[in-house]
Amino acid sequence: MDDNTSSPGVLHRGAFVYYVGSVIFVVGIALLAAGAAFVMILRIHYGSEPTKILLTLISMGVGATLILTGINMMMRQARYGYCVVGVSAIISLLALYIFASNYPHNWYYPIISYVLALYITGFLMLVGNAFANTILWMIAGKSEAVVKGEGEKTKIYTDEEIEREIEEATRKSIELSTSELKFKEPSVGEVRLGKVFRETRGNTTRVKDDIEEAKSLRKAINSGERMRFGSEEVESISRNLGEILRGEAVEKGRFGEIKDKIKGKVKKIFSFNRVKRNR
Amino acid sequence: MAKGLDIGTMNIICSEREEEDVIFTQQRNAFLELESSDLTKTMLDSSKVLYIEKDGKIFVLGEEAFKFATIFGKDARRPMRFGIISPSEKDAIPMIKLIVERVLGEPNNRSEVLCISTPADPIDLDMNTLYHKKIMEAVAKRMTYETHVIDEGLGVIYSELSDYDFTGLGISVGAGLTNVTLAYLATPVMSFSIGRGGDWIDEQVSITTGLPKDHVCATKERGFRLGLEVELGSSEGALSIYYDALMTYVIKNLNRKLAEITPPKVEFPVALAGGSVMPDGFLKMFERKLREAKLKIDISNIKRAKEPLYSVARGCLIAARTHEGEEMEEGIIVESAV
Repeated sequence: MDDNTSSPGVLHRGAFVYYVGSVIFVVGIALLAAGAAFVMILRIHYGSEPTKILLTLISMGVGATLILTGINMMMRQARYGYCVVGVSAIISLLALYIFASNYPHNWYYPIISYVLALYITGFLMLVGNAFANTILWMIAGKSEAVVKGEGEKTKIYTDEEIEREIEEATRKSIELSTSELKFKEPSVGEVRLGKVFRETRGNTTRVKDDIEEAKSLRKAINSGERMRFGSEEVESISRNLGEILRGEAVEKGRFGEIKDKIKGKVKKIFSFNRVKRNR
Repeated sequence: MAKGLDIGTMNIICSEREEEDVIFTQQRNAFLELESSDLTKTMLDSSKVLYIEKDGKIFVLGEEAFKFATIFGKDARRPMRFGIISPSEKDAIPMIKLIVERVLGEPNNRSEVLCISTPADPIDLDMNTLYHKKIMEAVAKRMTYETHVIDEGLGVIYSELSDYDFTGLGISVGAGLTNVTLAYLATPVMSFSIGRGGDWIDEQVSITTGLPKDHVCATKERGFRLGLEVELGSSEGALSIYYDALMTYVIKNLNRKLAEITPPKVEFPVALAGGSVMPDGFLKMFERKLREAKLKIDISNIKRAKEPLYSVARGCLIAARTHEGEEMEEGIIVESAV
């Protein structure tokens, strides 16, 4: 059952209404079935007893009204939909009440025409409302499918994320524009260097060190990828990594989800063990 | 051959491999302007002081700038502030260029790989590091180095956390800024800087105690010990207070930034480097504060770099050698393809 009370779309329905509608529908089916059973059991015909005819017709009439009311209640309704359903059901039941109160003694024309017209009006309003809502639901369903199709690639960003995106895009464009820049030596006039300038480069400290870390670093970085340095890269890497780690929240096919989870867990355990072992 | 270069607010340090050793060449990132005269020049030459003469003025560069500043009662000028080229120093770029050129030396071969460190964008200052980064890159490229740039914090991770597969938190507490990088398997996950460092401590202590900044800096660098017990009214006491404040500020901002990301669920070791972590007791105090802060990541162990001052330069050298290896490999592939 799809509960979309908060849906911003055209059609709405609450969970409670759905369950009440189901009950009404089942009661309607039972009453209609009972009515049909009375026809056969009581062998209803032109000359049957009025009480038997009344019981059978009321059961069938109320049953049919309740079935349609239940169906309408189970369906998502447009604005004023429930009012239409309520009014229609009341009209039908009113017609049946008038029939019950007038049959057989006052059951003659034009009362018969009025009662029949009233019942058919209510019945048709219920059928029409159900039909109209079905068409609306189909149209809304199609547009939702279109939105959903586009939404697979769409992510809702917070204001902060949007700001960061803009900042990053601006920074990247600045980086790109400046990377083409060529700097000219400024004219600083005549500069004479002191004697020591050519003698030493500065205070030196010699440390015994084989810098083996360079090999480890090359191993740690993916062979297919270039090294990523600089703070402007960090934001995007951080975001990508965050998205990878939030993978569980991303909608995926069932199979892909399970596969990714297993992969992620194995990776995590492997990297965690490596970090621990090296400690 | 490859070289690493740490361009810091206080020191510019070049690292390179020579046989079985790594050589760190260091120069203070400062200069002092003096009136030019033959006598001054002779005196500076005989004392083996690094200087240049320009527009009838003498500019003493490096360590000696501080010494002469004390003698002449002047303040040494600093080409960098908050980890980047100082916008208020008109001679910043030519001076920094001279110091860099001298410290780096000529490349051993054309397109020798050089990796330089730059700060990440600060989160508490209204500035970005792009201009500084591009200028430094341009200076190195003009010297025909094949230049790459890394964040300072990542340099610390490359240098100190190889035993942990380059996974961890690298913190470089420099003079101008404190740089922080969180990396997972050598991939930076988060990188930022904070606009407070050793200079901020010096300034605050100088303001509160009335002592000259250079004196405070000298006290700090002359075997100062950070402890919980401090002498009332002493400069050491003031230093301890501001070190404590700096650590609290760094950890608070670190936790704030960690809340913005989704770090991997592993234990992260922490490596501390930079000139400002050198006082004894820094590691102990920082560890206590970090454990108490209940960070949004699990911390395994906290260590201080063996050579805190050279850690970033060493990380740059590791990155440069890695690049060099990649380029050599690519060269071999291209050659074999031809």
